[in-house]
Amino acid sequence: MDGTFQEEGSARIVKFRPPLYKQRYQFIKDLVEKYKPKKVADLGCADCSLLWMLKFCSCIEVLSGVDICASVMKEKMYKLAPLPGDYLQPSERSLTITLHHGSVAHKDPCMLGFDLVTCIELIEHLEQSELKKFPEVVFGFMAPSIVVISTPNSEFNPLLPVETSFRHPDHKFEWNRAQFQNWALEAARCYDYSVEFTGVGQPPRGMEKVGFCTQIGVFVRKYPLSEAIQPEKATKAAYKTVFKAVYPSLKEEKYLQNAVVTEVIFSAQSIMQRLPGHRLMAGHEDNGDPTETKPKFQPSMNRFSEDLGKGAVARSLEPFVNGNAVSIPLSTLFSFPKVRRLCCSFERFCKLISGKVTLSSDGSAAIFYTDCEDEEN
Amino acid sequence: MTGRARARARGRPPGQETAVPSVGASSIQQTLLNQPPGFRQPQQPHVPTSLSEEPGGRGRQRGSQRLQISAGFQEMSLADRGGRRRDFHDIGVNTRQAMEHVQESKTGSSGVMIKLTTNYFRLMSRPQWALYQYHVSYNPEMEARRLRSALLFQHEELIGKTHAFDGSILFLPKNLGNKVTEVFSRTRNGEDVKITITLTNELPPTSPTCLQFYNIIFRRLLKMLNLQQIGRNYYNPSDPISIPKHRLMVWPGFASSILQYEQSIMLCTDVSYKVLRSETVLDFMCSLYRQVEEQRFRDACAKELIGLIVLTKYNNRTYRVDDIDWDASPQCTFTKADGSEITFVDYYKRQYNQEITDLKQPVLISQSKRRRGTLVQVPVVLIPELCFLTGLTEKMRSDFNMMKDLSSHTRLPPDQRQREIGRLIDYIRKDDNVQKELRDWGLSFDSNLLSFPGRVIQGEKILQSGRVFDYNPQLADWSKEMRGAPLICAKPLENWLLLYTRRNYELANALLQNLFKVTPSMGIRMNKATMIEVEDRTESYLRVLQQSITPDTNIAVCLLSSSRKDKYDAIKKYLCTDCPVPSQCVLARTLSKPQAVMTVATKIALQMNCKMGGELWTVEIPLKQVMVVGIDCYHDTLSGKHSIGGFVANLNQTMTRWFSRCVVQGRGQEIVDGLKACLQTALRDWFKWNKYLPSRVIVYRDGVGDGQLHTLVNYEVPQFLDCLKSVGKDYNPKLTVIVVKKRVNTRFFAQSGGSLKNPPPGTVVDVEVTRPEWYDFYIVSQAVRSGCVAPTHYNVIYDTSGLKPDHLQRLTYKLCHMYYNWSGVIRVPAPCQYAHKLAFLVGQSIHREPNLLLSDRLYYL
Repeated sequence: MDGTFQEEGSARIVKFRPPLYKQRYQFIKDLVEKYKPKKVADLGCADCSLLWMLKFCSCIEVLSGVDICASVMKEKMYKLAPLPGDYLQPSERSLTITLHHGSVAHKDPCMLGFDLVTCIELIEHLEQSELKKFPEVVFGFMAPSIVVISTPNSEFNPLLPVETSFRHPDHKFEWNRAQFQNWALEAARCYDYSVEFTGVGQPPRGMEKVGFCTQIGVFVRKYPLSEAIQPEKATKAAYKTVFKAVYPSLKEEKYLQNAVVTEVIFSAQSIMQRLPGHRLMAGHEDNGDPTETKPKFQPSMNRFSEDLGKGAVARSLEPFVNGNAVSIPLSTLFSFPKVRRLCCSFERFCKLISGKVTLSSDGSAAIFYTDCEDEEN
Repeated sequence: MTGRARARARGRPPGQETAVPSVGASSIQQTLLNQPPGFRQPQQPHVPTSLSEEPGGRGRQRGSQRLQISAGFQEMSLADRGGRRRDFHDIGVNTRQAMEHVQESKTGSSGVMIKLTTNYFRLMSRPQWALYQYHVSYNPEMEARRLRSALLFQHEELIGKTHAFDGSILFLPKNLGNKVTEVFSRTRNGEDVKITITLTNELPPTSPTCLQFYNIIFRRLLKMLNLQQIGRNYYNPSDPISIPKHRLMVWPGFASSILQYEQSIMLCTDVSYKVLRSETVLDFMCSLYRQVEEQRFRDACAKELIGLIVLTKYNNRTYRVDDIDWDASPQCTFTKADGSEITFVDYYKRQYNQEITDLKQPVLISQSKRRRGTLVQVPVVLIPELCFLTGLTEKMRSDFNMMKDLSSHTRLPPDQRQREIGRLIDYIRKDDNVQKELRDWGLSFDSNLLSFPGRVIQGEKILQSGRVFDYNPQLADWSKEMRGAPLICAKPLENWLLLYTRRNYELANALLQNLFKVTPSMGIRMNKATMIEVEDRTESYLRVLQQSITPDTNIAVCLLSSSRKDKYDAIKKYLCTDCPVPSQCVLARTLSKPQAVMTVATKIALQMNCKMGGELWTVEIPLKQVMVVGIDCYHDTLSGKHSIGGFVANLNQTMTRWFSRCVVQGRGQEIVDGLKACLQTALRDWFKWNKYLPSRVIVYRDGVGDGQLHTLVNYEVPQFLDCLKSVGKDYNPKLTVIVVKKRVNTRFFAQSGGSLKNPPPGTVVDVEVTRPEWYDFYIVSQAVRSGCVAPTHYNVIYDTSGLKPDHLQRLTYKLCHMYYNWSGVIRVPAPCQYAHKLAFLVGQSIHREPNLLLSDRLYYL
């Protein structure tokens, strides 16, 4: 993970591998893996790259981005929308991604209650007046459990091929380690946070004294947050929502029901196919000579037992056929691991399929109808 | 049955696929009729090339970061750059201007008026609307696009809120007043930058750049409506139709485009259905594993999966499965762009937090199509567990019940379809953001579907030897009327073979008995077949054929016990090349229903008669000395190695006999060279038959993809002309080239009383929805029993015939009556369908040009 550098010829050109921005993102990802925050906000989210990476972290349920420039966010915000795959197999977790247009110098109640707030290469873009308000907004108002702030370490600059004074024309300042740490310690003290310093972008060998290329402060709130939001925090909204995506999730009744019904009907089909007297599946009519060598591919055993839980199907309650109706006990259907996993309890299972699957008169079994097998081909 | 015909027409199914290719009854029942659009496989979208052996879905992210930024604009400026992307709408191919006789009018007049509604909406712009195109430059030069943007939009009061900017080209709905506007911006660290905004173009609403611009804006709108793009179309994921029995998920959506049509710029939108499957490729493999014997498992996987389009879980990209690598697994490593090695498991875990649970699964290989720079194509590796299946497998297509379930959802009757189409406009009208965007650009859509009058040209009289009859114009079918009538030319079955396996002895006899019953009324003289029992092995069939076929053999009939394709292929290959004798394969299953055997035998008798050079019926063709050519292509998508061009041309005035040849084109060869040779032979044979040369040649060219029109106009037509010239100095026939397109989004609805119906067969449309720069028209020639009828688009790209549009339209419609495998009107002129059948047979089974001794018969039916 740590950056390496190359020295080409006599000129010292430090190149990071992976690139520095990726190292910063990876740092956040690692932090998310470690603390498992549920609500994460990225201040200064720009083109949403970090948010896009974070949406794959399964612990996160709420993901928000804030940026002062709406057009930059809008340009790529659709990559935060759910994908077809998210609809095809709704995830267990719920996920809502929202983008707000606004300034980190303003308070908005939608930023309350977050577990992690990241400010990656943000503060050096702030005007003096904004920077002054920043600690109050982030540490005082938002007051998340963890805040991560990264900013360039100016001591590293002589090693970079930058001719201007700052690494980026829009930077208002670039701090050395002492400056950053003083600012950070002051903010932490003021708002009752602890702070630890680290960074990404290792300096070249022999130059360790300059420190990381990007310096990072990780702030952790020292006091527990009372559940109720203090009334004085209920300020008026200052941000404008530019994007909102609610991912399909099994937490939503609609998707859960659909998943359960789909699984039940599919399982029922496979039971029906194995019932005696049922036509064999296609593919057996051929009597070609088996010339192929034995395949090495073996689907893992766990998948097999999971899919067609032969052992799990209670022997005493066998499905039975009546004309073209097949009656399958609900307990049999519930014994399929996938169904069981989705529903958790039998009661919930019954509730979910009610109205979607035909039940027997006593309600103990589901009735499925076989198609007329008349192939018109 | 449904869906398959289309798949074939497009040459999609993998080479070794079974699914009863033209065996017996399947080909008898082969309908070309209406296929619901939902069953369309999208044209394989361009898969971005991955740089090194990297897993699917990464290539683009890094490599083309810069390109992606202005993806919209790229498309916009493609005309200038010579097309990185294909122009699917063939904009800018202006063929009408070269045709004197249709300069004034390209509309016909015959027939009865009919009130039609279509799936087009007018795009409306403010009066005097124009799009202003500016070039923006910076001094000092600013590199970062974001910065360029930020600096420019410091002057929002000047530019306005509505704009499209890619970093150098700026589109505005308003004029800034001056040709050159200079403004100054200050970067946040105090640097002053001069920005020069130069007006480069004032685009009228109809300019091609504007059209592309509309489409870009429209795609923006569709995204705002939360529709998901898959391939070229947009789908609504929040309201899926789920068919749990088959683990299918059908997303309703829209195919749409904005183009300049005859009178106005319009949005054409049709309902489209995307069949997705809520199972992964791994799930599918596992259930397949339970269904087939172990030794056939890999084969079965290849059969079912290769050629399918999969959708990756972690990004919105589709790939075609080209191969399965059984020796690899997710534990294999690949080299990342930075040179480090990583396993697929770790990669997906790290990049997308996707857990791969089955570490022993094989991997899928997709050959990417797009080449970037000089890089060689590198296959993309995909993990079955992380890929969803899309579309239908061949097996599903042949599952009648499944297709029935599916079509109940996707095959919409006219009024319902119209409602669904109207929903898109409803969405647009109800969404505030969308409305605002449109308003800001000064654009809006008409809320009503376009209505206009069309014409129904009269039905044809069917002529059989000495008999003339009409058919029911609503059904466009004359199988009943034909019953018991003698054929125009009946070929005797004097000396013929019937091969069967022991198990099918009874069926073979039943077939023979029923043929004896049905042939006399047709006028076919028939002797008892030489019945030969064979073992159910390919070699056995071939050996018997080798031993028993004599120069006198009329036809060889093989009763096949299963739809194993290899057997069928071997028989066809032998009898079409080495030993040119017409052949008829019949699947035993087709004869298994005693009550249907007579009907089946009737159809087989007709088919056999055609294959031996017999003639069934004709229609009146007033045009004399005309040679009609049909061309279609078959693309071998599996091996990607060759394409087949099928070529047919009539040999006689009544269009009952057809000459055929085909071009087997290797990689890198142009199909057109071969077509030239085909035309030459066709003319020679025509001369042999008629003792004169045709004075007119009319080519119906099918199998032209979207965006290929340009090539056709510039290469193929000159080659045809060349070829005609080479025949002789004094020979100067009139040439007409018509591009035939079945896959169009245009739909017509006939207003009848308060409801909408399918327009009747014979409906011709040559106004409003045609293109001003073309000599084109639509014909609805076939009838459908359910769903919506699809019109066929005809684009006359070259015409020195001087024929009136009316005459060309009538001739085209007449030719739709002449396909002998279907006693009814079909969707395309018969020569196109014959060419299709030929190309398909050769592409699927024979793989080289059939023996020319067969070239005057419809042996490929």
